[in-house]
Amino acid sequence: MPRRIAFVTDKGGLDDRIYERFGRAPTFTIVEVGDNGEILSVRVVENPGFKAGSGAGIKAVQKLINEGVEVVIGPNPGPNAYLALQQAGIKSVSMLGVTVREALERFLHSQ
Amino acid sequence: MEMIRGLTSGVEIVIASGKGGVGKSTISASLAIILKRRGFKLVAADADAEAPNLNLVLGETVWDSIEPYYEGRYAYIVDEKCIKCGECLKACPFDAISVVNGRYVVNKLICEGCYTCSFVCPTKAIRFVRDIIAGHVRVKYRTRYGFPLVSGEITPGRPNSGKLVTEVKNKAKKIGGPDSYVLVDAAAGIGCQVISSLAGAYMVIMVAEPTLASFSDLRRIYKLTRHFGIPAALIVNKADLNPEYTDTIKKWAIENKVDYLGSIPYDEKVAHAIAEMKPVIEYYPDTPASKALYKIGGKVASILSNLEEWRLKYLPEKIEPFIPIVIKPS
Repeated sequence: MPRRIAFVTDKGGLDDRIYERFGRAPTFTIVEVGDNGEILSVRVVENPGFKAGSGAGIKAVQKLINEGVEVVIGPNPGPNAYLALQQAGIKSVSMLGVTVREALERFLHSQ
Repeated sequence: MEMIRGLTSGVEIVIASGKGGVGKSTISASLAIILKRRGFKLVAADADAEAPNLNLVLGETVWDSIEPYYEGRYAYIVDEKCIKCGECLKACPFDAISVVNGRYVVNKLICEGCYTCSFVCPTKAIRFVRDIIAGHVRVKYRTRYGFPLVSGEITPGRPNSGKLVTEVKNKAKKIGGPDSYVLVDAAAGIGCQVISSLAGAYMVIMVAEPTLASFSDLRRIYKLTRHFGIPAALIVNKADLNPEYTDTIKKWAIENKVDYLGSIPYDEKVAHAIAEMKPVIEYYPDTPASKALYKIGGKVASILSNLEEWRLKYLPEKIEPFIPIVIKPS
């Protein structure tokens, strides 16, 4: 079964670095990974929380739910986003200071 | 949660306190000047958009650029379509609608843009004004102390939001470039704009005074730093007003893995300097508060020189989520 993993990013893509904040990050890079850890597809989607006046974290999580994401890798989400992720059953993994590619490798390695 | 952190760009240092009036802006201004003189490249950011005053402490009132900040919406009623049924007035959760000279009107300062009135209106007479100017991002590219200053300012009556704080911080990072520190003077409280100040920060310097109220608010802001996994330091201001209580707070800091940077005595010269719109370390360099500030500034400088090492020492052992209260419909 392919899995969808979202990364919190600025411009997006495998070589972009993980963005420092969750709810107001400009984009999510969604990577579909096959059973053997191979990358099946890479998509960059806009985060509606980026432009939100309030409720940015909640809007960001809603987007991840709509995209069918299982895991999100990025900074620690804020209190409201944290709760929403928990309720949606999306696993949040904290990683910063690395590119999407490196974060994916580290995550798959830790599994 | 797995924690891997490496140094990226535009290192944010946030000054926060929970309680207001404990000295955040005074300390921010002095720290910025001390760090600048020690050769650190930095941008000061005033993230207290409701009551911005870091510029006043620094004696800056003329801006190089003032950009509008757009956010929010408010409702208005189209008279030709309105049948004066009063449904909107009854439904508005904010009591923003009233009858003036026989017309139904929305008070745009009270309206939150929640759409409730538009759901109940039978004739679709309600429209919205969007992207209103809700504040400004103000920039001084070079203050008299050599570093740039970015300041957010919210329009009275407009809902405050972390979005403006995000714009202020991003502007500061853009001006400073990737090798610059951003010193963020946060608002009081632990609400949206403070959370936005903390998100993405590398270090939080908490400021407290030896009072019950300040200690209580300090522990609330501390809880947020544990939520985000940001290492924290502490300064106790006006410490000699209640030395025993200062000791209590200091002891708490040490027990809770907070780096105690030192204390500043109560000093009337601080108020005199604020009245003169000059940072106290500039106006009265030899007064006890200034001496304490210089000492603390030196400590902060040495922390920044070995930031990764310091972070490893004071990183929270585990993330402790700050779970908001969930209101479920009955």
